[in-house]
Amino acid sequence: MSVSLVEVSLAAFVILAAIGTAIFRDVMAAIVVFAAYSLGMAVLYTLMLAPDVAMTEAAIGAGVTTILLIVTIAKTNRSSAEELIEVIHWPAVVVAGTFTAVVAWTVFEFPTIGSDEAIAWSNPSVTQHYLTYTYVETGVTNAVTAVLAAYRGFDTFGEAVVVFAVGVAVLVVLDREVFT
Amino acid sequence: MMVVSMVAVLSGLPDTESLFLLAAGIFVLLAIVMLYRVYMGPTIQDRLLAVNVLGTNTVVVLALLSVALGEPWFLDIALIYALLNLLMALVVTKYTVERGGLR
Repeated sequence: MSVSLVEVSLAAFVILAAIGTAIFRDVMAAIVVFAAYSLGMAVLYTLMLAPDVAMTEAAIGAGVTTILLIVTIAKTNRSSAEELIEVIHWPAVVVAGTFTAVVAWTVFEFPTIGSDEAIAWSNPSVTQHYLTYTYVETGVTNAVTAVLAAYRGFDTFGEAVVVFAVGVAVLVVLDREVFT
Repeated sequence: MMVVSMVAVLSGLPDTESLFLLAAGIFVLLAIVMLYRVYMGPTIQDRLLAVNVLGTNTVVVLALLSVALGEPWFLDIALIYALLNLLMALVVTKYTVERGGLR
């Protein structure tokens, strides 16, 4: 497994930013650090040649989520924090750390990147079908983008219907005509 | 990869890709240093500026990686970040003004 300087330092950066998000007492500070975390994650995704995921992380993680959280604070109360850092509950840290370690242990069982024995690759009836027919059926040269944007378009359409229905239901319950 | 770039630099025969990759690595290390200001604050404005610098740094890293890995579309993501960087500063500034200033 080749580990480059960029990957190691990016991973360190992301972990540091995530810890900062968790332990800051001031919510505003946590939001700002969370944006930094999102920056690091997007570069990691880009490095793994997943441009669509990186763009989504950039737009949603750093952009929309930050704005949503800040608007939420603006509408509610921001507790004025005396201390810089949250009081750390160590038993919870131990439990969460153990869980993370157990989950991280499974990483060693993953097939190497690009291995032709990976389950996703060696499954002929599903994966090979998409790899063979995506360009013919959708005209998109990148199979991942084709699955996400073309085939899953139906999925996204279903989601849009659900969100719309929920919006209508909320307006009915609130007895209003438009969102204010 | 890191070893390759180190060897290339030390032997005086740097090939462009590994040099750019090394540069990207150094910029990411600098990003970790910038986290110091994000952590220490002491005000939101300090943290915001630090994250803004981090965003600009990210654009540079993405541009360097784009050359190092020969993937020109990395620049698209760099452009998105350049735009988003401005957006977050604007939102926090607006919030600050509406609140009549933070500590």
